Amino acid sequence: MERLSIKDFSAYYGETRALGSVSMEIPDRQVLALIGPSGCGKTTFLRSLNRMNDFVKDFSVEGQVLLDGQDIYSPEMHPVILRRRVGMVFQKPNPFTKSIFENVAYGLRIQGIRAKGVLRDVVEKSLQAAALWDEVKDRLDDSAFALSGGQQQRLCIARALAVEPEVILLDEPASALDPISTARIEELIQELKTRYTIVIVTHNMQQAARVSDQTVFFLSGEMVEMGVTSKIFTTPSDPRTEDYITGRFG
Amino acid sequence: MESTRSLSLFRRVRNAIFGTITAMAFVLSVAPLLAIIWVSWEKGKSALNLSFLTTLPSGFPVGSSGGILNGIAGSLVLAFLASVLSVPVGVWAGMFLWEGGSDRLPSMVRLFSDLLLGVPSVVWGVVGYYVFSTSTGYGLHWGFSALAGGLTLGFIMIPIVTRVTEQSLRDVPRSFIEGAYALGATRWQTLRGVALPGAMAGIGTGVLLGILNVLGQTAPLVFTNYYNTGIPSSLVGSQGAVGDLAMQIFIYIHEPSPEMHTKAMAAALVLLAIVLILDLGIRFLTWGGRKFSARR
Repeated sequence: MERLSIKDFSAYYGETRALGSVSMEIPDRQVLALIGPSGCGKTTFLRSLNRMNDFVKDFSVEGQVLLDGQDIYSPEMHPVILRRRVGMVFQKPNPFTKSIFENVAYGLRIQGIRAKGVLRDVVEKSLQAAALWDEVKDRLDDSAFALSGGQQQRLCIARALAVEPEVILLDEPASALDPISTARIEELIQELKTRYTIVIVTHNMQQAARVSDQTVFFLSGEMVEMGVTSKIFTTPSDPRTEDYITGRFG
Repeated sequence: MESTRSLSLFRRVRNAIFGTITAMAFVLSVAPLLAIIWVSWEKGKSALNLSFLTTLPSGFPVGSSGGILNGIAGSLVLAFLASVLSVPVGVWAGMFLWEGGSDRLPSMVRLFSDLLLGVPSVVWGVVGYYVFSTSTGYGLHWGFSALAGGLTLGFIMIPIVTRVTEQSLRDVPRSFIEGAYALGATRWQTLRGVALPGAMAGIGTGVLLGILNVLGQTAPLVFTNYYNTGIPSSLVGSQGAVGDLAMQIFIYIHEPSPEMHTKAMAAALVLLAIVLILDLGIRFLTWGGRKFSARR
């Protein structure tokens, strides 16, 4: 079953087309990797899935992005509600200048949830799901900035999980981390996909091969090819995909 | 080897030149403060004692005996009234400018706000007179009073607070703002919960700059409050004027009396001390939240 279904989707910055007629089905509880060289439109595509591009001046779209059959760009879909259903983790860890606890609780607080017991339960559950609980359970009131970079990124994942999204978007989540922290994030992605639909942008092709079930290759704002990851990385059907994954450009 | 040597000599000379210029700039920027403190201290120290701070001026001419309590109290009242007007308005306007970015209306507000920064303080005084103090025509007919003077100073402060608030909000990393939006925060929640706390230290500095600016003003007060040797019983009306340290210094230094000159310089020292205390106080308040800061 598809969680997200994209139909003939294009994105523009002013007059410039950054992304042209993308169509794909993103299945539930799988990891989809977006790969391609810098400027290919993969991040634009990712940020179109939770309407983070709405903040970019003169940004506009054509076509449809359906979340459980509902067009996320239709007037009935409020971006605030959409972003609670489609969570996002950024390239560089960006915890708030708050305590570890308050970082995870933030998404609930802004929905008006105040009950201490509920907040505590959700914070614990989310930190456990992000594989961070054991490292921070004794210092939940410390600043989030007392954590290492890798821990901060897992905190940001916990923060995204706390609002119980259906889809999680990861924008090169490990690119600012050391190899050990990267491995932990990748393990975490494997655990999370049993419950969430995950879309990840990565520059690192080994990473795409390791963590994803399906892979899409973008080039110059076009979707070149989508398929099962093992096939894309061994026998791609488009020569441009082969050139990219064998390192001939990018 | 030759070329390496000559390059390193060139670099050393250039380093020395820039080092000297930096040191000179530092000396020139602190020298006036040191000169002010030294002159005020040398000329004013003999008048400084506790009763100078706690008694009202008396004698003839008024001020030849007694202290400057009227000026201390009045300056604090004026700064308070100015802040009550300018902090909410300025912070609100700064948030509007931050939120609006380069849209047309915010750009116009920004331009007007900057123009206001350049209005001479005496012009503010005259306008303040016609709006607040005049007893004829449209105005509010508050007379020469603390409220008229304080609000005039408040209007001078607004563009300073606005500018600094907007800049401080812009300095909050974009990634924090996006992090909040990505969790489903509304614009207002993001502003209040993430942007404003991150900008708090900067906004505090802006309010401080505004207060320090108005504490030193005399021209706007000439037409809206002037001066009072006592403590008023009301903030408006013909009995509503307050004393003011800057005005007090100005008046005392004009008296042909060495004691009054001494008191003027002592009052200058007191004004400096108030500035220092306010500075430290506001820093303490707005930098208190640094516990969770990104900057370690």
